[in-house]
Amino acid sequence: MPEAVRVYYQEELEQLEASALGGLDLVSDALRRTMEAVEHQDVELAQLVIADDDRIDGRYLEVHQALIALLATQSPVATDLRLISSLLHVLKNVERMGDQCVNVCKLIPLAGNEPPADEEMVRLILTMGKHTRTLISQAKRAFEERDAEMARDLVRQDDAVDNLNRECFRLALDLGDDADVREWAMTMLLAARAIERIGDNAVDIGEQVAYVVTGLFREFEDASHPSS
Amino acid sequence: MAPDETRPESARESREAAAERAGIAVRPEFQSGNGGGLREKVFELKGVDVLYSGVTAVKGVSMDIHRKDVTALIGPSGCGKSTLLRCFNRMNDLIPGAEVKGEILYHGENLYGSGVDPVQARKLIGMVFQKPNPFPKSIYDNVAFGPRILGRKDGLDETVENALKGAALWDEVKDRLKDNAFGLSGGQQQRLCIARCIAVQPDVILMDEPCSALDPISTGKIEDLMIELKEEFSIVIVTHNMQQAARVSDRTAFLMVELDAEEHNRWGRLVEYDETEKIFTNPADKRTEDYVSGKVG
Repeated sequence: MPEAVRVYYQEELEQLEASALGGLDLVSDALRRTMEAVEHQDVELAQLVIADDDRIDGRYLEVHQALIALLATQSPVATDLRLISSLLHVLKNVERMGDQCVNVCKLIPLAGNEPPADEEMVRLILTMGKHTRTLISQAKRAFEERDAEMARDLVRQDDAVDNLNRECFRLALDLGDDADVREWAMTMLLAARAIERIGDNAVDIGEQVAYVVTGLFREFEDASHPSS
Repeated sequence: MAPDETRPESARESREAAAERAGIAVRPEFQSGNGGGLREKVFELKGVDVLYSGVTAVKGVSMDIHRKDVTALIGPSGCGKSTLLRCFNRMNDLIPGAEVKGEILYHGENLYGSGVDPVQARKLIGMVFQKPNPFPKSIYDNVAFGPRILGRKDGLDETVENALKGAALWDEVKDRLKDNAFGLSGGQQQRLCIARCIAVQPDVILMDEPCSALDPISTGKIEDLMIELKEEFSIVIVTHNMQQAARVSDRTAFLMVELDAEEHNRWGRLVEYDETEKIFTNPADKRTEDYVSGKVG
């Protein structure tokens, strides 16, 4: 096999990794704007996030197709094979995270223009969003630096997001009997749940980092067999 | 392939008789059908060096070849994989100045022991070469050649038919067995050579780049055949095609060229030997990783 072909392949693989991980930046930005829309009940901004999800989907389709082409034409093995397999997983997670932002943004008009918002619950959701953005950037850095320990630490960070989600639930129960307030609280619980899932997606990316580094795929945590 | 279709009932006995003729006293625990719950070893190499006229070609190879496995030897040109393959049936004996040091056990017995007849041993350990090499004879006579030499004249038609079926060639040649073998295509000739090899009921089949001269369709047929043949035979294959090694083999050995400090002398060295899946998904040695990934070669 001519050396130049192999060099081109390595360069292309590096570029595709950068593109796939760049999808996490798109998601992080979408989540930032989603949280801003939640905070200010900004329906227009929410619509913009929904429209911009096409960029995330486009990235997913484009890089996915290019990775399949590399599989078909270059027969990658060993670390390259694990990397490509992991990037396909990462892309799927990126696409799911983008969709969760869309899910939250679709809820904002449902809450009404002047919803009976509970400040504490909004604060909890915004904190979840902030933590989750940290998870996303940490997942990206762990992948770039092939740092399995940093990836493993995502579980600990995600526990904080899970706890905030549970707090939201408890708060919703205490918000009283008013029908409008209950409806708003239920809508916000769906939003909190969507953000919590984005955190889970970041942990899934961490598992892929561990796979690239060690060659062994293990779930950090199994929902059906929680460690705690 | 169901082993019973192609293998005469007497095959096991004749194989063990052949081992006796070769001077190889096969230990009971290594005899056919006696796995003993452990992976049965066909070959055990212990610190094997191969030298040509005193110059080392392969150094310090230790590995076990398991029964009914396809074992692939891969590595860049000049790494000694074909040299190593030829040690398995003493083909290196035919090369003047060739010398094998260390120990090669065949079913627990020293293959290079003074009482072993290399000619007889090669009947147990057959070889298929890179370029198909049929004899200038009919298809039938090619396959019948080995059994005739061994004096197995009874049931010769059945032996030929079974060997051709075993090599997945029967349906293509059954109506022209008397035609000259040279009239066959390259892929068919290679399968004829495999039929000729299995007609004498060997224990091991050595294949030295058996598909390198074949087109992808013929290559696919030979690869399918290897998967079927390992039901009955142990196979060791040298291949330059890493995807072929990944597709057909159970275990893969990677050899590479090693140079001395002055970069004057070079020899082959076994770098890594493991389950094929491990070699191609998560090799332990960076040199294996670089080779199978196409980064060096």
